Amino acid sequence: MSAFVLLFALAIVSLVIHKLSILKSISIVTLIASSALVLLHFSTPLSGFTSSAAIELFQVLLFTVISAVIISEDEHINITQTLFITAASVLLLESSTLLTFIISFEALSIISFVLVSNIKNAKQAEGAIKMFISGSIATAIIVLGLSMYLLEGHSLNALIDAKMSNFAIVGIWIIMMGLFYKLTIVPMHSWAADTYAQIKPSLAATLSGVVKTVVVVATFKIFSPFILNNITLSMPILALLALVTMTLGNFLALWQKSVGKILSYSSIAHAGYMLLAFVAIQSKYASTALLYMAVAYIFMQTSLFLLLDKLSDGRGDLSLDNLKGLYSKDKFASLIFSIELFSLAGIPLLAGFLGKAILVYAVVDVNLIFLALFTLLNSALSVGYYAWIIKHIYFDKAEGKNKISRVSNTALISQLILLSGTLYFGLFAYNIFEVAF
Amino acid sequence: MSYLSLIFAPIILSIFIYFFTKQTNNAKYIALALFTFMLYMSINIYMHLPETGYLLLSSFLHVEAFDFNLVLQVDRLSVIMLILTSVLLILVGLSSWSIEKQSAYFSLLIFFCGAIFGVFMSTNLMWFFIFWELTLIPMYFLIGIWGAEGRIYAAVKFFLYTHVASMLILLSFFLIYKQSGTFDMTLIKSGVLTTPALIWWLLFIGFSVKMPLFPFHTWLPDAHVQAPAPISVLLAGVLLKMGAYAMIRMLILILPLQAQKYAWAILLLGLISLLYAGFMALYETHLKKMVAYSSISHMGLVAIGISTLSYDGLSAGVYEMIGHAFIISPLFLIAGFLHHKTGSWQMRDMGGIMQRVPYISAIFVLAGLGALGLPGTMGFIGELSILLSAIGKYGVWLIVILLGSMLSAAYLIWTFRRVIYGEMSEVVKITDFKMPKAEFLSLIIFSIFIILFGIYPQALFDIINQAFSAYATSGGAL
Repeated sequence: MSAFVLLFALAIVSLVIHKLSILKSISIVTLIASSALVLLHFSTPLSGFTSSAAIELFQVLLFTVISAVIISEDEHINITQTLFITAASVLLLESSTLLTFIISFEALSIISFVLVSNIKNAKQAEGAIKMFISGSIATAIIVLGLSMYLLEGHSLNALIDAKMSNFAIVGIWIIMMGLFYKLTIVPMHSWAADTYAQIKPSLAATLSGVVKTVVVVATFKIFSPFILNNITLSMPILALLALVTMTLGNFLALWQKSVGKILSYSSIAHAGYMLLAFVAIQSKYASTALLYMAVAYIFMQTSLFLLLDKLSDGRGDLSLDNLKGLYSKDKFASLIFSIELFSLAGIPLLAGFLGKAILVYAVVDVNLIFLALFTLLNSALSVGYYAWIIKHIYFDKAEGKNKISRVSNTALISQLILLSGTLYFGLFAYNIFEVAF
Repeated sequence: MSYLSLIFAPIILSIFIYFFTKQTNNAKYIALALFTFMLYMSINIYMHLPETGYLLLSSFLHVEAFDFNLVLQVDRLSVIMLILTSVLLILVGLSSWSIEKQSAYFSLLIFFCGAIFGVFMSTNLMWFFIFWELTLIPMYFLIGIWGAEGRIYAAVKFFLYTHVASMLILLSFFLIYKQSGTFDMTLIKSGVLTTPALIWWLLFIGFSVKMPLFPFHTWLPDAHVQAPAPISVLLAGVLLKMGAYAMIRMLILILPLQAQKYAWAILLLGLISLLYAGFMALYETHLKKMVAYSSISHMGLVAIGISTLSYDGLSAGVYEMIGHAFIISPLFLIAGFLHHKTGSWQMRDMGGIMQRVPYISAIFVLAGLGALGLPGTMGFIGELSILLSAIGKYGVWLIVILLGSMLSAAYLIWTFRRVIYGEMSEVVKITDFKMPKAEFLSLIIFSIFIILFGIYPQALFDIINQAFSAYATSGGAL
């Protein structure tokens, strides 16, 4: 909790001082200090919030990614919003009762609405409004489910009860469906493709990279006992959702011409992969797999959107044709872009491969071999569009005037931070295997 | 730890070479020095091998919970592959002496070198798979950037096709781990596996794509034709061998009972590949495509050798793998050279090349004769020993293998007629055939190998036989 207090205090202060040029450095120092607080277990116990080794590791990595986001961010007001998001994420990750979970989740949602409302043109406004509307619907659905659950006399101030009536079980399922809006699970996904592709890509990095992973991890922490208790019902439902999500995400990504859209659909497909951990919850590898995928995903997805932000100068309207010949213009950016894409595609020695591999192993572990096979084939299919982007970067010659802007050195530093995460977790797996939820 | 650097040093080095040899064009010297060092190290490892079994080189990055442990262990089979790979890499480096964008090209080759050493050295299935997949990345770029007109289609198809196949391999590795509790291929007991048949078939399809056997071969003609000539050598000499190596290593040695049961499938696909690719080569007028089909045909022969599951059959298969690498490579290099000079792939645009470049043509004829199995070349020994062991195992009807031999004689001699001899075409008349010395040197070395091991195959068989001596003493069924 002390990390939350520190970050929240800084976020409040930064509202006042966001005009000062040292805001960036102060934020970085604070994030490092928060990591230290987490690592040193310097925590004030507070009822309704607990932490564990896995959550602590994830928080530290989250702070690392957020530092990279802040380093590459130009607009100070966005830094302030990012700090608020980080604080709310810490709260959400540590929440251990239904009440604290819902409250922190809503706090995170509302702050992300504020984040995207930094609008420059009509396209961004469209993306922001889509997100706001779908977010409100999600909240309404969550409240509906919550009221059904409470009607049966269950307490909010505890974990989800093990024993409950069917009515309450339906209530919990409705809450989960509301959460799935944020996780962009098909059919609750349609806002995401537009929002991620149309808002400023650096904000999309925060939304699709950071917020989504935080929600996945927190949802897993709170809801895994419930799913485990109702495994006969939840396994088929979740397996179907996961399968549809990744297949649809990958297929729709294949048709896209805009880089932002491809990354958005790939983000939806990855939500499907992460849902597999919920399906395979009986396996002892499920929690490790989810954590691994979340860690891998937060690094690679954030990196790609941040790089897109820099290459398109904050507009995010790059099409595949604009990427042609990027190789001859900017070697470092092309290399980093390709490595992160390969990581998303699940190519070995990169974090994305191990994340996906352990997820699929967890699925094999609960004897769902066909689901594992479809996941692997999906992953192979996704190589189609990732390799297609790389084809534009490396194999094609630049044609005419293209509107790619140079990546600044500060942005490269932030990219290197994210890249080192992608490389490190592609090689060294034991950090994640030895922590428990 | 020091052996670990054989894999990771090239991978890390490649990035530095890419960025720091931009101006100087030194990359090829560094690459050649590195490949020579790798050859030295492989021979060094060979010297230290025990009589039978594995030599543990090092073990690293242990993750207890998932058996995710980078164990480097080698036996004779893998060291043979290591030596073959490093020899081929040196020759590929020589034959790419005057290629464009050298720093990028050679850094990708160096990256490939690290990955392929990982494939042959690691006995942990997860790490085996990691390196197996990693070889795709440099190949994707090498075909996609330096290839011919249709390079992009070929590169993406190659990448996707083999990646899908790898997914089947990964799934069966997971099944193995789930059922046996270990990823280490030296520790897996086939007895504890509950679904060995499923695992066998998944692996078989996965490796058949890489090898490639009919009907999973369609990526190869595209990749071969579009790739630059030295990369075709790498594809034929190293990448296809990965498939055959994995087939021997996993299908035969880890799952011997299933191999006994389903060996007919390897035999069948091997025979079909041999004949089908032979007919396709006969039909082709595209010079490099003809060579590519000839390559598939020869890999069919290797599969037949493997399918006998016998000591001499496996040895013959491995011999043919090496022979195929040395024979098919000069054909690819010369086909690429002719295309580079004449600007055409079609055999009808060539003809009479013998009068212009007698030495290169002579090497083409020599390699071609090797491919059709002329006594005195590596091709003859390989074909004969595979034929004998196959007849010994399955009966006299396998004399049909000779049909494949006849087919290769037909398409190769006809090709000589059209390309090397025959009337000089207009295109050839006006073309300036000048080959860089380094490329010519690599061709000479290839032809020396073809003749040397054709006349004195025992030198090679002495090494290969030892690889399977443990297999022989156990009577073929481990």
